[in-house]
Amino acid sequence: MRILMICTEKLPVPPIRGGAIQTYLSGCLPYLKQEHEITVLGVTDPSLPNKETVDDVNYVRVDGKIFELYMEGVIEFLQSNEFDLIHIFNRPRLVIPVRQVAPNSKITLSMHNDMFTPAKISSEEGTAVIKEVALISTVSDYIGEQIQALYPQAKSKVRTIYSGVDCDRFLPGEHPKMEKIRQSIRRKHGLENKTIILFAGRLSSNKGVDRLLRAIPELAKKHKDLALVIVGSNWFSQNNVTDYVAYVRALAKKLPIPVVTTGFVAPQEIQNWFAAADIFVCTSIWQEPLARVHYEAMAAGLPIVTTARGGNPEVMIQGENGYIVQHPEDPSQFTEKLSLLLSDRTEMKKMGERGREFALSFYQWDRVGADILAFWKGAQETLISSEKIDYTDLLNNSSTERVTNYFQHMPIEAPSMINQEKVETVTVKKKKEKKKEKEKTETENTEKEKSEKK
Amino acid sequence: MVNSMIVPWEINKSTHEFFVPEYILSYAQEVLKHYDLSVKSIEVVTTKPDKGGAIWKIDTNNGPKSLKLLHRRPTRSLFSLGAQEYLSLVQEARVPPIYKIKSGENYIEAGGKLWFIAEWIEPLQPVTKDLEGAKQLCYALGEFHRLSKGYIPPAQAEIASRLYKWPKSYQKMVEKMDWFRQIGTAYKDMPASPALLAVVDQFETQAIESYRRLEASQYSNLVKHGNDYWGLVHQDYGWSNGQMGKDGMWIIDLDGVAYDIPIRDLRKLISGTMADLKYWDITWVKEMIQSYHEANPISPEVYELLMIDLSLPNEFYKNIKEVVFEPENFLDEQTATLIQTIVETDKTKWPVLQKLQDEWKGR
Repeated sequence: MRILMICTEKLPVPPIRGGAIQTYLSGCLPYLKQEHEITVLGVTDPSLPNKETVDDVNYVRVDGKIFELYMEGVIEFLQSNEFDLIHIFNRPRLVIPVRQVAPNSKITLSMHNDMFTPAKISSEEGTAVIKEVALISTVSDYIGEQIQALYPQAKSKVRTIYSGVDCDRFLPGEHPKMEKIRQSIRRKHGLENKTIILFAGRLSSNKGVDRLLRAIPELAKKHKDLALVIVGSNWFSQNNVTDYVAYVRALAKKLPIPVVTTGFVAPQEIQNWFAAADIFVCTSIWQEPLARVHYEAMAAGLPIVTTARGGNPEVMIQGENGYIVQHPEDPSQFTEKLSLLLSDRTEMKKMGERGREFALSFYQWDRVGADILAFWKGAQETLISSEKIDYTDLLNNSSTERVTNYFQHMPIEAPSMINQEKVETVTVKKKKEKKKEKEKTETENTEKEKSEKK
Repeated sequence: MVNSMIVPWEINKSTHEFFVPEYILSYAQEVLKHYDLSVKSIEVVTTKPDKGGAIWKIDTNNGPKSLKLLHRRPTRSLFSLGAQEYLSLVQEARVPPIYKIKSGENYIEAGGKLWFIAEWIEPLQPVTKDLEGAKQLCYALGEFHRLSKGYIPPAQAEIASRLYKWPKSYQKMVEKMDWFRQIGTAYKDMPASPALLAVVDQFETQAIESYRRLEASQYSNLVKHGNDYWGLVHQDYGWSNGQMGKDGMWIIDLDGVAYDIPIRDLRKLISGTMADLKYWDITWVKEMIQSYHEANPISPEVYELLMIDLSLPNEFYKNIKEVVFEPENFLDEQTATLIQTIVETDKTKWPVLQKLQDEWKGR
């Protein structure tokens, strides 16, 4: 098939400036291009030509940054180019304009965030989008469920295609390729004999790293030789320190253990920090689609402590490759789960190994590629309704303001809700907990098998 | 020709007050070439080194003008420039008219930022720092808000809007109260920490209560009118950006304008003025609101929002939020005293708000 993949207006492909969607797209391109003629339409970048063909993939780049401007470029391109299938990333609002100029193409959507909420798209346009697309892939069940909660009619069209990771690049610290790097990073930062807890992600309050920092004092009382590494690009920025970064810095300064903050790490080098670490923690408080760092941590053989938010728990088997924190607002829950890991080092190592196995078996790019190929095949087989709808009115009426309930995502907690002293009983509870986790794991295992059969 | 991107710059002991890096000065010269003006003199009058912005006063064959390097994203600056043009040309508001480049555009892009020239309004004089002055400021603000209604930005501009963000900013304030508490706890040996920890609960409770009131208010219905119905909030309005000219009050420095229920400007002016007085004076507040109301009538629903916005612990928040930056310096004796003053002033706020509420109901 002649296939057009339309990326978002923000970052260019290949992912020279990072970006989860851009990484996903590039990761599976090598598999997709073997079966189809692929054109990738994305945003212009000063360091990339506006048109090129690399490794049999055509790249076309139009101006973007602002959605409306990008949409114009996309439409203009489609007016003189035809495709059998158009695969749109994360921008449901492109679907109807694209349909207007490509009446005979199959359209598929790849969803990476909550983009169907009333704040993002009117229900009228959303309904039309669901009708016009052949299939919708989502990066997690969570994202699929969110779409179906608003548009139940989407049920038959939604498929989860989990993202992937390069398991030859993200490797455990003891791997021959990584051993030296691990040692040198640890030596360079004076962390040779430390157990390194790693956080990697944006330093913003919804990502919650402050809760991890607040969990450390209690944890450090029970476990010796801990160190914390925070990989977050905006840490050192002199000129634009956000209030949140300042807050996190202020907390870090007072911690009883070494805290290493890396500042910006180039996407090509990030695997080195995973190899240097011993535990990975994701602290997200928001309903996150499913953070890529989970795949990277698993590939690097790190046990994970993550949060029961959005799609994050979907790649976890509690007690197998790590633990899930139920209420990430409460720092003592991080203390508890980390303590559980640290109390049994053999078990902790095993969990990292299980993570690596998961990454190798389920989260490599060839699997993502194969899933997308099957997904496109499915889309190709769907019938396009012969009824052509003129959406001109809908597009003209769509205003930029769509929000209906401005308060819906704003849970306010009562003051002083967090009881800092909760952690005391962790060790006593440990055995009981383990038993419970084991039972839970078994049910989750069967669930996981189910979802894999899907 | 220079071609590096304009970025914030460092200032230190060796740099003078209005230091601007050489490459930016070269850009300024390049920019001036695009204007049909002969420039007799040029001097820096304001810099924003931490953001990467600057203002020059230029004397030209066509009279004095200001040359501005806008530090914001170009697409964001386009929104503000469009607003300034709409206000001065379409609405004939007293805001400095934009002087266009030879090819007719409002601005020129250089170093990845937008530059523009506006008329230098003179003479301009600050109003007196008394109730009369405050009333003049409020009336002028009302006028500005009224005239800003109906603004539609150019297509390439991003939509700068605070209209839908009230719940989020209230939420943020509640969240940060906990940050203050955590920092006070982590730095408990600093002089101001006990004072901070003693009052943070009280102000957090106030912020939560304001949030609940906002939720119960007509806010969600009001915003449905949409951005251009409500017009623009200035966001940096006060004694220096509202000044008296020959023919009336002028409003300057429009770079931060955004769509909003613009009463927020009035709220800031009131709470800031009361903080300066160190107590809440019912006469001042009433007359300030009245002056504004004469220029831009306040509906009962918007009045309710004003009351709710005044009920936030605005001054505590504004003064303490710096604590996250350098707690080891910030939490000193001086801040302990400051907290005491804020708490004392806050006590006088509530009877005033109560009266304002009752009297408006009786209208």
